[in-house]
Parts: sequence; C-alpha cells; structure tokens
Amino acid sequence: MPLLDVQNLTAYYTIKRGSVKAVENVSFSLEEGEAMGLAGESGCGKTTVALSLLGILPVNGKIVRGKILLKDTDITKLSEKELREKIRWNAVSLIFQGAMNAMNPMYSVEDQIVEAIKTHDSSITKKKAKERIAKLFEMVGLEPERARNYPHEYSGGMRQRAMIAMALACNPSILIADEPGTALDVIVQAQVLKLMTELRKRLNLAMIMISHDLSIISETCDKLAIMYAGKLVELGDVLTMFKKPVHPYTQGLIAAFPGIYTPKQEMKALPGSPPNLLNPPKGCRFNPRCPYVMDICKKKTPELKEVSKGHYVACYLAKK
Amino acid sequence: MGLRGYLARRVVYSIILILAVITVNFLIFSMLPGDPMAQFVAGMRGHIDEERYAQLRKHFGLDRPLHERYLSTLGNMLIFNFGNDIISGEPVFDAMRTPMLNTILLMGSAEIISITLGILIGVIAAYKRGGILDTTLVTSSLVTYSVPIFFVGWIVILVFAVQLHWFPSGLTSPPGWVRNPPVNVLEYIVGRLRYIVLPAFTLFLFTVGGWILFTRACILETINEDYVLTARAKGLKERTVLYKHVLKNASLPIITNVALAAAFLISGAIITETLFSYNGMGLLTWHAIYPTPNLPILQAVFYLTALLVIIANFIADLLYGVIDPRVRYG
Repeated sequence: MPLLDVQNLTAYYTIKRGSVKAVENVSFSLEEGEAMGLAGESGCGKTTVALSLLGILPVNGKIVRGKILLKDTDITKLSEKELREKIRWNAVSLIFQGAMNAMNPMYSVEDQIVEAIKTHDSSITKKKAKERIAKLFEMVGLEPERARNYPHEYSGGMRQRAMIAMALACNPSILIADEPGTALDVIVQAQVLKLMTELRKRLNLAMIMISHDLSIISETCDKLAIMYAGKLVELGDVLTMFKKPVHPYTQGLIAAFPGIYTPKQEMKALPGSPPNLLNPPKGCRFNPRCPYVMDICKKKTPELKEVSKGHYVACYLAKK
Repeated sequence: MGLRGYLARRVVYSIILILAVITVNFLIFSMLPGDPMAQFVAGMRGHIDEERYAQLRKHFGLDRPLHERYLSTLGNMLIFNFGNDIISGEPVFDAMRTPMLNTILLMGSAEIISITLGILIGVIAAYKRGGILDTTLVTSSLVTYSVPIFFVGWIVILVFAVQLHWFPSGLTSPPGWVRNPPVNVLEYIVGRLRYIVLPAFTLFLFTVGGWILFTRACILETINEDYVLTARAKGLKERTVLYKHVLKNASLPIITNVALAAAFLISGAIITETLFSYNGMGLLTWHAIYPTPNLPILQAVFYLTALLVIIANFIADLLYGVIDPRVRYG
C-alpha cells in the first residue's frame, strides 16, 4: 500500500466568469522515501495539486472530486480542524518558491519554527523546542546561533535551508517543494537540491518536487509526472521518461532542453500556448497544439493507460 | 545599528523638521499681501496719523529687517510665545485654551471610534473579500467617504436634531450655562456629551469609510504573500494567521495614517465645527480668517498642527522600529 495515493483529484477555482478547471482527474501514488517530480508549464495546476494535499486551497478553490489517501485516511474528507492538527506540517510540509517571502519578515526564524513545533505539540517547552531547532539547523548546514536572526538577515540560500529546517520540524512523511530552486543562483540551487536529496535518503522522506525545470527533476527524483492544462499526461520513472517519452507534450518538453552529452541540435519550442482553463478544449486538452492530432483527440478525452510497467500515458498514440 | 541608533536619527530628523516648519510658517506670514497693521488700525480711522502709525509699527517690530524678525519668531515659537490676539488683545495661548480642549474632546472621541471600528471592519471586509458583505461595506464606505462633510452634517442635523429632537443642532454646551453653570460633575458631563454627539457622529460617518477602505487595501496586499500560505500550511488557526501574520505586516501603513490623523486633534475640523457652531480650533481658525484676519492665531494654529504631526510621526517611526525588525537594522 503506497504512502500517498491520489485518485482522480479534481479541483476548480470559482471566479466571476465561471469555474477554472485547474486540476482534472489527476492520479498518482507515492511510496515512502520516494521522490516524484511534477513538471509542466506555469498555470498547469502543479501548485493546485500541492495545495490540495495540505487542504489549503484559496477560498475560491475547491476539491470537487477525487480522493487523497494518506495511508488510509482520505484528506478530502477531513474537517478543517483535523487537517490542521493531523495533516498540515505533521504529515505533509511545504517549501516555497525561492523562499524570499516564505518566512514572515516580522518574526525571527527561531520564533517561526517554534510556532510550527508548538502548534503541533503544545506540551513541549520552549527550551526543548529550541534544542530541536539547533539540531535541525545542524542538519541543514546552518549555524544554530543564526536561528535568532530575522529572515532578511539571511542570504537566499540560507533562507531556503532555514525553510527546509522549518519544514522538517514536525517530522513529516511527505515534503512538497514548490519550485525550490527559483530565485537562487545555480550554485546555491545545486547545494540546496543536494541537501534535500541527502535529507530525503537519511529521513526516508517522500518528496514531491514541483518544477518546470526538468534538469532539476532528473537529478533529484525517481519518478516524473508531466501535467498539461490541469491534466496528468504522462507518469513514469525518470529514466524511461527521458529516454522514451511517449506523449507528444512530454516529447516537446524534453526536446526543448539541450543535452550536454548529446550531439548539437537545434532546440525545438512547442508552438502555441496553453489553453484557457475556464473553457478547456474538448477531448484531449493538448489537441490544439499537438503535431499528431487525430479526429478522436478532439472528441474524447484519453484515459491514463499503462504502456509499460509503471509508465502511464494519456494519449491515443500510446501503444503497449 | 540597532534601535538606539535608529532612535537618535529620528530625533535629529524631527528637530530639523521643526526648524523647517517654523521657517516656512514665518515666510508664509511675511509674504502675505497687505499690511499686517491694516486690520489693527482700521478701527482707529481718524484717530491716527503717520507718526503714530510709525510708532505702532516699531512697537510691533515690523520695522526691523527680515532676518531679525525671523530670529525673534524662531525663539518665540520654541518657547510657545505666540503674541497677542490682535482683536481681543489677550495672549494667543489663552485665546486657544478652551477651543483646544473642546477640539481634543470632539476629535479625540470621533477619531478613536472611527479608527477602531474602521480597522476592525476593514479586516473583516478584506477577509471576506469578494462576498456580499465585502461589496456592501466597500460601496457604503465609498459613499460616506465621497459625500461632502457639510452635506453629511446637514442630514445628521435634519434627522437627529430637527426631526427627532434627540440632540441639539449646535453649540458647545447648553446656552443656559452662561448664567447658571452646572452644579455637579454628572450634569456637566451629560450636558457636554449631548452637544458632542452630533458633530462627532458626522465626523465619524465622514472618516470611517476611509479607514475601512485603507485597512482593507493594506490587508489585501499582504494576505497573498507567501508567508501567509506558509503560516496556513504550518497548521495555524485562521485567526492566528490573520492577526499574527497578516495584520502585523499590514499595520505599518495604517500606523502612519493614524499618526497623520493626529493633526486634526489640534487643528480641528473647520467645516464641521462651523456647521455645528462648536467652539473648537476649527471655528477659531475660521474666525481668524473671516471676517477679520487674526494672524497671530493663524500662525499659532499652523505651527501647533505641524508640530503635532511631527511628534505623531516620530512616535509612528518608533513603533515601526519596534514592530518591524527590518527598520530597526536598516
């Protein structure tokens, strides 16, 4: 039984002009200690999936269908109070884009981590919590004395490390990293990613790495899920996906990244832009941009089918 | 640098500002067209000749060169010596005492209620953004905020004084008090309150909309920050997220505005006080402009108002330093 099993997750945002179908029928599962990359263009629903896992969609967002099974509890069925006490930070934590603003500038880093610890264990003394922070700081490679500083006194890389320390404060089993490398220069980004991989192995953490940078995912993850316009189009292990992408969109994404070991070739961009999710195209949502579009693609939505073991594709071209 | 260095810098800035205010306040009155003596001698037509006029100018120091007059003004302002009311002849400070207390009472009560309620309602509106409650609050705030205050005042007088007879339509205290002053404290308080309610309510109606809209905007600006999402993801209660993480960040511009509003505590509300014949600083200012210009009073009002703004801003800056660590070390 997987640690996390997302089944047909569908989440919409209600706005004045209708409902934005941000995530539609997304299913995937995650084993303990496994890392999955979630990739796709901006606005394809990656972050909505992440927020759904914590039950913190914005007020106009709602999970309309589907299950999110964490061990054997369905998160979508929990009350706000249960979500707060059992899921958020205790089971699933979230690290944000860039971490520039992910910490409140008004409170010291220590205060913010103590707040996280005390929220989930009110009996713990402040002294014990501080000891825990010192340990966490050592683990992420920061000097424990720096905990008393404010976020603005940290560099970008330090802030991201502190954020990781805070994310691990309550021993979660799943860590979601939403664009953890954005706004960091490549060297610091590489250090942060290395740290996350090390911690994941050491603590047997399951991880979901959200990024539009496939190179980051290829280095840190076991599995890769590709989303397009709110739908999961392909899911499989990283190596297979990079070597033999099946879905035309995945092929396009991978062709858009130059390989440093492969012969020189011109980079190909996918023509067109993602559809408006208020009114997504009928059938396969990729059909207006797909170079291999067929009649059926415009009428029926392709289901996610297993093409080889653990490799799922939602495309009529996919064959076993 | 820390809080102490920050404080020292603020003190120096404030002193420089006070000197600048005195200078500008001096220049405005020196540059006013017309002879400052004109009003004074107007009543003595026929009883005054050139020689006497020159004597008077000398008596008031108007014959001295600009820089000398500036230095003496500077000194006088620093020790709050504002000269005499040119009409009644009593010291400006005495002429201002009663109106100032009246105004502090009126503006103080109106502003405290307006700011407290405005911020509270603004937070609620921002939190329920987009809903019916929010739309209603924003629309009604915009309406009360944009209707001219004299019109609000008319309506208030018409409804609560003329139609319902709940409160008097004007004045500062019961007219009968001139002959029979109130005997006990309770009677005094109730009497004063009855006369404050309507002008205070008018001011409240006029200002509360601004506070609601401003607070709402400040909250909306911070409510979508990443750290708010982090706070929510950490499993904090919505109330904690709102009051601990959002409001603290949103409070800085609100504090500045509260500090600026402090100026009205002394300057008063000219239109409202005139409308209600309320004997406060606003009415005093109006009577110092029209019908007879009374420059010493005006100069004192301008100066004290500016001084209060500077002091209030200084306090706001201190609060900034206490609340926001980035200011403290910046």
